[in-house]
Amino acid sequence: MRRLSLARIAGVAAACCAAACGARAAEPDALAQIGAQVGSHAVVRAEFTQSRQMAVMKRPLTSSGRLVYARRLGVLWLIEQPLRATYVLGEDRIAEVGADGVRRERALREVPGLAPLGRVLRALFGADTAVLKEHFEVTLRGDAAAWELDLRPREAQLAQFLAGVQVSGGRFVEAIRMSEAGGDVTQIRFRNSRSASAPSDEELRLFGEAAPATRP
Amino acid sequence: MSSTRLRAGLWLALALAVGAACAALLARGVRLQTDLLALLPATERDPVAERAIERLAQAAGGRAVFLVGAREAAAAADAGRRFAAELRAAGAFRDVRAELPPVDLRQLAAFYLPHRFNLLTEEDRRALADGRADLDGRLQRKLLSPFRFGPTYPVAEDPFGLGDDWLAGLPLGALKLEPAHGLLIARGEGLAWALVSAEPAGSSFDTDTQRRVLRATERAERTLREREPAAQLLRSGAVFYAEAARAGAESDMHFIGMGSLAGMLALLYLVFRSLRPLALGLLTVAFGMAAAFAATVAVHGQIHLVTLVFGASLIGEAVDYAVQYFAAHLGAGPGWDAQAGLRRIAPGLALALATSALGYGALLLAPFPALSQIALFALVGLGAAWLSVFLLLPALLARPNERDPDRAVALPRRLLLWWQSHVPLRACFAAGAVLLLVAVPGWLLLRSDDDVRLLIARPPGLLAQEARIRALTGMEFGSQFVLVEGATPDTVLASEEALAGRLAPLLADRRVASYQAVSAFVPSAQRQQENRALWRQGVFRDAAALRARLAAAGLRDDLADRQREAFEAAANDRLTVGDWLASPLSAPFRYLWLGAQEQGYASVLLPQGVRDARALEEAVRGVPGVSWVDKPASVSRLFRSYREWGAGWLAGAFCLVYLILGARYGARLGAVVLAPTLLAVALALGAFGYSHTPATLFTIMGLMLVLGVGVNYAIFLREGGVRTAATLAGVLLSAGTTLLSFGLLAFSSMPALSGFGLTLLVGVAIAVLLAPMVLSYGGLPQA
Repeated sequence: MRRLSLARIAGVAAACCAAACGARAAEPDALAQIGAQVGSHAVVRAEFTQSRQMAVMKRPLTSSGRLVYARRLGVLWLIEQPLRATYVLGEDRIAEVGADGVRRERALREVPGLAPLGRVLRALFGADTAVLKEHFEVTLRGDAAAWELDLRPREAQLAQFLAGVQVSGGRFVEAIRMSEAGGDVTQIRFRNSRSASAPSDEELRLFGEAAPATRP
Repeated sequence: MSSTRLRAGLWLALALAVGAACAALLARGVRLQTDLLALLPATERDPVAERAIERLAQAAGGRAVFLVGAREAAAAADAGRRFAAELRAAGAFRDVRAELPPVDLRQLAAFYLPHRFNLLTEEDRRALADGRADLDGRLQRKLLSPFRFGPTYPVAEDPFGLGDDWLAGLPLGALKLEPAHGLLIARGEGLAWALVSAEPAGSSFDTDTQRRVLRATERAERTLREREPAAQLLRSGAVFYAEAARAGAESDMHFIGMGSLAGMLALLYLVFRSLRPLALGLLTVAFGMAAAFAATVAVHGQIHLVTLVFGASLIGEAVDYAVQYFAAHLGAGPGWDAQAGLRRIAPGLALALATSALGYGALLLAPFPALSQIALFALVGLGAAWLSVFLLLPALLARPNERDPDRAVALPRRLLLWWQSHVPLRACFAAGAVLLLVAVPGWLLLRSDDDVRLLIARPPGLLAQEARIRALTGMEFGSQFVLVEGATPDTVLASEEALAGRLAPLLADRRVASYQAVSAFVPSAQRQQENRALWRQGVFRDAAALRARLAAAGLRDDLADRQREAFEAAANDRLTVGDWLASPLSAPFRYLWLGAQEQGYASVLLPQGVRDARALEEAVRGVPGVSWVDKPASVSRLFRSYREWGAGWLAGAFCLVYLILGARYGARLGAVVLAPTLLAVALALGAFGYSHTPATLFTIMGLMLVLGVGVNYAIFLREGGVRTAATLAGVLLSAGTTLLSFGLLAFSSMPALSGFGLTLLVGVAIAVLLAPMVLSYGGLPQA
């Protein structure tokens, strides 16, 4: 199942890249270059700071922690402040591991509208321009060394929640700014991004990939 | 006017009446039933269950479902859109759906928002009841979670995410489809698949509709492949199954009908070397068939294609009576007297008709609409053919025959004479005993099969496509469900909730993937009250604590009081099934609610991904108002009970036939006449055992007819005697035409009919081969 899905992602990405490379306009070409550049890392580890401005809050809500982006597996979001919690955004499921270590999982397909969102989020963290172009009108500013993508949802489904997204970076994604349809804004900054060739055992376990003896 | 001519006149009047009736029926338009499901008996004692089955079948099978596959979602969506446009243009469908109305998830949240204090997931209920709800942690998670999209409430309406849990727990997403590029897209097999569904403009079982749907689909598929050679297309839907079944049955009918007719005419000519018996044989058969058709349509209001297939195989049997008369004519030579000849064969013909009627009469009692229709067709057809011999043939076969009867049957006659002079009855019985001994190990090998697929065989190509569509989309076309009944809507919901507790362990170990039920969308009134009490106890009891908790997380100060006000304002709120039904959100699930019945209300709980139906049935047992409905299993059970019942009836029928034979021949000769047929049944069962052909209900029904038809040859042989070579010709002819017809039936595409045909072929063949046993019994009547 997983292998099939990956083959699919790879297939879609390859087809998109091929189409993009053959296109006349310079922009798709540059987009593909950015996608290839960020996508060349198998695993990226970074520290993040998130700041969320919400109408119901007296002050912006900040949190910080670590991000692990594994191109093959998805995204780990490890919040360390103000509380410890881990979120796993996999290919077909999301999971939440609380401070108590209890893992709550749910398949993306169980919730209508969540499957494309999951894919979009993964594509955002990995600057997967091929997938992003499927779901957004993409405007590119800058060049491969310092770029900024302005994304507007193509589908009403996505537009229900998301007004727009800005992603910026160079070799890595450095900042994401999401404006929700309700007016709330979430700003994420990444620091100390490092590339690695494979996820650690602990990360694999969080992705639900490895099969330690304790798993049923 | 002589009595002969008077009778012929009577026949003519009857024939005209039958012809007129047929013409009138055809002019009015005879409904040709091709729905194989209509063959299935009502299996459920509860009429509500039967209605539920029908409703689910309509919900699942009424629409044709297509998946258009391509490498990329965008390409699949484009291809799907074009495919849909192509289908629409063809006009064969009433309603083609590809583009979706965007499902507004905010609408979902808005629907449940006013009722949120009455709603809790099972997990949250337990957590609140045990006081381990960890409201602070929940609030933090709600605020910090990076993935808080999907159907959720704003923080201000649901700070602790209890309402979000409820929304997320709704079984909306049993389908693996997701909206993309304006269509529903499934992903799998390395491709993206766009869903297109279409409702045929007319009944799926209407021949014209089927043809138009098939033509439109083929054209759309061609266009699709021209533009995108790599595109794939999967299809499913009742209309395709029905078309395949109808086409199969139609070609069966033509093949068997033409084969029987041609074979019968060839055999008739071979023996009688004259066109007159051919024409007269055709006339009696045609009269029989026309009368059978008219009677069946008059009684049932329609005729099933399967009846026609079986009717085609009846040609070989219907001509038997005329053949006996032709044989008497052939044997009498120059001294032929039409009436005297008839008188001589009359007792034999009457016996033959009686035994056949007994065989088919048993089918008439069977609870299968299909079998009782077949039985009626056969009884009327055979009766009318038999009547034709008495009324019509003497008038048209008045001149004596000129052909030497002995030459027609020289070889078999010599064989039978040898048998008669060299094979004593004792040897016959010894041989019979040996044959029985040989058959016994076969009986022990005999296996039975009661699968519903006997009656409804689906083409493997379509089944494979349906399986792929099922795997890709998660759509269920199942016919297993739990029926829930109660005095009020609320008792129905409460019973469903009681059921949920029993199903939990099955869901936990994946014996059942999930289920859909109305109570998952609308809890019972009692459950709503409990939920509200839990909300009060866990969240709102201590106003100051609530205020402090929200303030500590940095939320604005007025939020806590606004929450409390909203909670108190909803004190008398109750979410009802009516509210839910009135909302467009319930549209995909409305078929689950059966609503008001003659007594009380009913709903369907639909399990999905059932791996262990037995465990499910076990879990459901004993909950009041709840019953497990499994149509295929019910049909199989019915097949089984009637197979067993049929075996008993077969034994009884043998006794009855023995009584009839005993009345004419006495106890000993009666037994000898019956012996070949008895041996035929025993040996046929043994043969099925050795060849690993499972015994089915239709085998037993076939054996019933082996009894009815097989005993005729012994009767004819006994009545005519071997010395009258012409009788022998008649018997051989009868056997030949019957074997031909039923032999062709064995090639039918329907497993039930082919099993039936095979049984008759084997049984009748053995009965014919052993029929000369009656010649070994001394004291033959003088010819």
